[in-house]
Amino acid sequence: MSKYAFFLGCVMPMRYPGIESSTREVMKQLGVELFDVEEFSCCPAPGVTRSLQSSTWLAVAAHNLVAAQEAGLDIMVVCNGCFGSLAEAAHMLNHDKDKLAEVNKVLKAAGSKEYKGKTNVNHFAVILQDEIGLDAIAKRVKHKLDGMNVAIHYGCHFLKPSAVKELDNPETPRILDDLVEVTGATSVDYRHKQMCCGAGGGVRANTPDVALKMTEEKLNYLDEIEADIILDVCPFCHLQYDRGQKDLDRETKYPVLHLSQFYGLAFEMDNKLLGFNMHDVPVDL
Amino acid sequence: MFKYGISGFESGHYMGESVYKPDNTFPQQIVERGGTTLLRCFQCGTCTGSCPSGRQTAFRIRKLIRWAQLGIADKVLASEDLWMCTTCYTCQERCPRGVEITDIVMTMRNLAVEAGYMQEAHVRIGGFLAKTGHLLPLKEPMMKARKSLGLDETPPTVLANKKNQELVLNIIKETGFTDLVKKGGK
Amino acid sequence: MTEEENGTSEGEEGKAPTEEAPRIGVFVCDCGLNIAGSVDTQSVADYAGTLPDVVWAGRQKYTCSDPGQMLIEDMIEEHDLNRVVVASCSPRLHEPTFRGTVERAGMNKYQFEMANIREHCSWIHLYDKEGGTDKAKDLVRMAVAKVRLLEPQEETKVRVETTALVIGGGVAGIQAALDLADSGFKVHVVEKEPSIGGKMAQIDKTFPTMDCSICILAPKMSEAGNHPNITLHTYSEVQSIDGYIGNFTAKILHKARYVTTDCTSCGDCADACEQLAPNEFDIGLATRKAIYIPFAQAVPSQYIIDMNTCLGTEPIACGKCKDACEREAVDLEMNDEVVEIDVGTVIVATGVDVYDATAIPEYHYGEYPDVITTMEFERLVNAGGPTSGHLVRPSNMKTPKTVAFIQCVGSRSLKNGHPYCSNVCCMNTIKDSLLIREHYGRDLKIDVYYMDIRAFGKGFEDLYNRSKAEGVRFIRGIPASITEVPDNHDLRIVVEDTSLGRVLTRDYEMVVLSVGMEAAHDAEKVQHLLTLSRTSDGFFLEAHPKLKPVDAPTQGVFLCGCAEGPKDIKDSVTQASAAAARAGILMGAGEVTVEAITAVVDEDLCTSCGLCAKVCPYHAIEVDTKAKTPAHVIEAACAGCGTCAAECAFGAIHQRHFTDQQIEGQIDQATASKAEDLVLTFACNWCSYAGADFAGVSRMQMPPAARVIRTMCSGRISVDFVLRAFANGAPTVLVSGCHLTDCHYINANQQTLKRVEKLWKRFDKWGIRKERLALAWVSAAEGAKFQETITKMSEIAKTVTAKEIKETKDIIARNYKFKAEKMARARAKKAGADPGAANKAKAKAKNGT
Repeated sequence: MSKYAFFLGCVMPMRYPGIESSTREVMKQLGVELFDVEEFSCCPAPGVTRSLQSSTWLAVAAHNLVAAQEAGLDIMVVCNGCFGSLAEAAHMLNHDKDKLAEVNKVLKAAGSKEYKGKTNVNHFAVILQDEIGLDAIAKRVKHKLDGMNVAIHYGCHFLKPSAVKELDNPETPRILDDLVEVTGATSVDYRHKQMCCGAGGGVRANTPDVALKMTEEKLNYLDEIEADIILDVCPFCHLQYDRGQKDLDRETKYPVLHLSQFYGLAFEMDNKLLGFNMHDVPVDL
Repeated sequence: MFKYGISGFESGHYMGESVYKPDNTFPQQIVERGGTTLLRCFQCGTCTGSCPSGRQTAFRIRKLIRWAQLGIADKVLASEDLWMCTTCYTCQERCPRGVEITDIVMTMRNLAVEAGYMQEAHVRIGGFLAKTGHLLPLKEPMMKARKSLGLDETPPTVLANKKNQELVLNIIKETGFTDLVKKGGK
Repeated sequence: MTEEENGTSEGEEGKAPTEEAPRIGVFVCDCGLNIAGSVDTQSVADYAGTLPDVVWAGRQKYTCSDPGQMLIEDMIEEHDLNRVVVASCSPRLHEPTFRGTVERAGMNKYQFEMANIREHCSWIHLYDKEGGTDKAKDLVRMAVAKVRLLEPQEETKVRVETTALVIGGGVAGIQAALDLADSGFKVHVVEKEPSIGGKMAQIDKTFPTMDCSICILAPKMSEAGNHPNITLHTYSEVQSIDGYIGNFTAKILHKARYVTTDCTSCGDCADACEQLAPNEFDIGLATRKAIYIPFAQAVPSQYIIDMNTCLGTEPIACGKCKDACEREAVDLEMNDEVVEIDVGTVIVATGVDVYDATAIPEYHYGEYPDVITTMEFERLVNAGGPTSGHLVRPSNMKTPKTVAFIQCVGSRSLKNGHPYCSNVCCMNTIKDSLLIREHYGRDLKIDVYYMDIRAFGKGFEDLYNRSKAEGVRFIRGIPASITEVPDNHDLRIVVEDTSLGRVLTRDYEMVVLSVGMEAAHDAEKVQHLLTLSRTSDGFFLEAHPKLKPVDAPTQGVFLCGCAEGPKDIKDSVTQASAAAARAGILMGAGEVTVEAITAVVDEDLCTSCGLCAKVCPYHAIEVDTKAKTPAHVIEAACAGCGTCAAECAFGAIHQRHFTDQQIEGQIDQATASKAEDLVLTFACNWCSYAGADFAGVSRMQMPPAARVIRTMCSGRISVDFVLRAFANGAPTVLVSGCHLTDCHYINANQQTLKRVEKLWKRFDKWGIRKERLALAWVSAAEGAKFQETITKMSEIAKTVTAKEIKETKDIIARNYKFKAEKMARARAKKAGADPGAANKAKAKAKNGT
């Protein structure tokens, strides 16, 4: 049974706790043990922190890597933003000795343990595919989702920058499509499937109307096809689509599900645990 | 409208058009902070065409890169456009010249902040980080909602442990971030 | 070898090996400011004048000019010089020039040596005049040391077979073959496809004059097919090429066509055939039968059976074609066969392949039916193509109303495809836009998306202007993505018009990706067949980019067409004629002189151990180890790599013009350098020395650490040389050569690898730092690698302390016996057995001093 330090981040525990409870239950059913680490903080979010002062971004990210290191665990994230910060910071620090020394100076001065440059950061979708495997997931599916058309939103910081992440081709990825279709649902193709939700980079905070316009454009592409739900692997994209559809007041509304919630459905988990009542767009599936 | 400045000219106006004085150290600063690929750009526009933000706004990432190459720092640092990038990396992935555009945008944002340009919303959110170690506040109804799902009311992070929280706030302070967001910007 | 010569070849320091006392002239060249700009040439010349046996030294502005050469001739006469050093550019450039000069003045041309103070010095140390000048002095001193020991040599001549082999039957290969055949030489053309014609046969019209491609090519194809001097080998591959300039032997594989030359191409067989496959000639836009002729104008006009399609999953052929053929030309039992031909010259015209646009997922080529590539477009507008020349959308077979061309697909990109400009795509698109205009008028809207239009050739700009005048819109900006609008297959492009800074979203009914050319996918195979080099972009490297543009670095081999780099038809044909002329010069002369650098055995010292024969890549040494007869070199077969000389433990075999004494003279002078970061560098003539030259020509800057000693092959570098350098106090030594599969002497550099690995093992045992001895494979195109290696080695050299050097000297003195010592012992033993010889040698030694 594999073990991970469960990195919560900010949006999930404080806006969509249903993703957290779903993740805990899904991973338990799939035999992955998750540990809470009370030293974890914000990843910190790349859009704002890294944009304002990258030294702060790197130091706080390193702090989180140290927390996992001291717990003797690798990290699992369920958010592309957290993945962006932690995986990129780890890539930087695990490969660049000078940067590592620089960051350790800061950590030491603040009274923290030093980072040894060894912590691995894993996106839970990758753990699902590579470690658990589609076959094991298929065995857990109790409620076949045949006939459900799923519009997958990969999000940006999951696979990109590809030179750092090296997971899948960012233009034509398959990983989430495979993870969705194992439930019997259909992943539907649509134009600009890889487009951004609009929220990242501090844009949602700074110019929410611009972020919303991008969300609207993407939703328009969904209107061109038959989609039943939007599926994401990032609570921040999740928030942008869920709240965005309310703010846009569109006629067609797509329920927004995080992959963990989607699996919750397929595994026939207690609907109450999935936290759909906290969504703005009603989830009635 | 603008004309490229000539060394020795001050920024200002000439015949009714803006004249910018190039600052040759500006592209160099970007290069030194890791943006070595900046100088490779040949202005094909693949980036702008890929930009989801550019389809909605006047933001032209290609132009931003051009200003930076030419050393017209003012056009970059004071630009509202600089903050329109969602860091989606599509331009960077597609750039035929391998310019690390998104990473360079973040470097340029750092330089803008150093020059005193900061967006109000970012100051506010940055303040949360410096105060709590998280970017979002935890409020009473959410704690209840968490409980209803069988989760701890307070997420098991630094929010649940004062000592741990102090350490991360120390780190944030050590990097000068706390003072930075206190000071704010234009 | 006579006793006298025997005695002299010991060549002690500062003593000439011949009777005649050395009188050396040193000519230092300014090369305008090329050398004088970063090397103080006057001080180099002054310094040269102080070296032993130098009787004249001076500097000139351009030594290679007529007055420059005249001065050399005059000085030889005035000062009775018998040896000359020119310190200027690379010997790969001007050694033949100056050898000619000294020969005219009555000297033997083998008593001439060059110091490369331009490519290896001034150009790579542009901003370090002091370091560059010191290095130039070292290089001159090394050259003087070598020239002092150089002996006169006589060259032999070899016959040149007056038959040529042309590999590749595209337009370049056809042109080269026709030119040679018309000059009276026999030519063999080998083409891997069933017909000659190449890519040009597939294109519709040609720019800038819009001639029909096949109409101008077909007559040349049939001329080649009917020419009495040309033998076509189609559907064939060159399996191996052995030999050397003038005397190559090629093995050619004729793959079974299953149809004999009795075929009249009536087509009855294909009518009877029921098996279908995609038609390669039409890029899969149409089908063909299993028995087929590639296209109407194919040469030879002969059908062929594609056995994979014919059989499918069946064990035996149905035989319907055989039954249908009245001439009984179908032979289902036909086998592959190999023929062997002797040729004097080889012309490489292997062409290119086309970039595969599926590598750019955001364009969805291969997924959206109406996104096509240039070659597909050519077939669609070609009257002989699958639609009889009607341009239609593959999705609905209707003529599109709007077409977009996207330029630079797979070109000028560090991400997708290739970093170079593919040369022809701009003009090809412009031509295609006019073709559409011609057929469909202005109702069909055409937009061309580009980043730069390169219309540099004769008549090109005119054509560009015509296209613009015809209303074709040129929009500067490369589309970021193509998406298919649901329901109707229309293609939506998102692009920034960079001249306006506007983001455009435009719909088209067809998008043509203007894909670039890339090196032929079998180029690597051809490269190994002929030990050629390729540049980083995959195309074959020429012997000199300006002055020998169609000569390959391997003598007797020439390049033309796109194999050398992307080019249009006109340039391919021009180059083909040039290659034919170059090959014709060799074959017309009928013989060629071979450099006097072959191996010679000293029978007195030979112990008949057979090691030299074992390492000779050419089997040019015979030795009977049982009968203990001394080794014997077959001179005609010896290529002059010197590997045998490096291998012999007794100094019993040496390479003319590259003797142990001569090279050791260079080593001793190099290690006498004052440079504290010295990297004593051995480089082979063909790859690593040329790579260092390339670094110079490209002005790649590096510390003035390297002192390069040139040998023909890295296989010449003996363990003795390396250890002598370290024993002399060198902080670091670099051994460099061709990449393992690219050795110009078959595989002699395998010996280099073995020797260096052996040395590393010894260093481990002895406690000498291994990184002080480096081995680098540097091709002629890898200037950057040379720069990188020297820079790195210079850093290592700086870490070597005087104490460490002293320790190294002691270690080597304790643990290693140099060849020279062994030879002295062997001689003493021989002398003891033959007192007469000993006396003679003694007398000689007396006279010599």
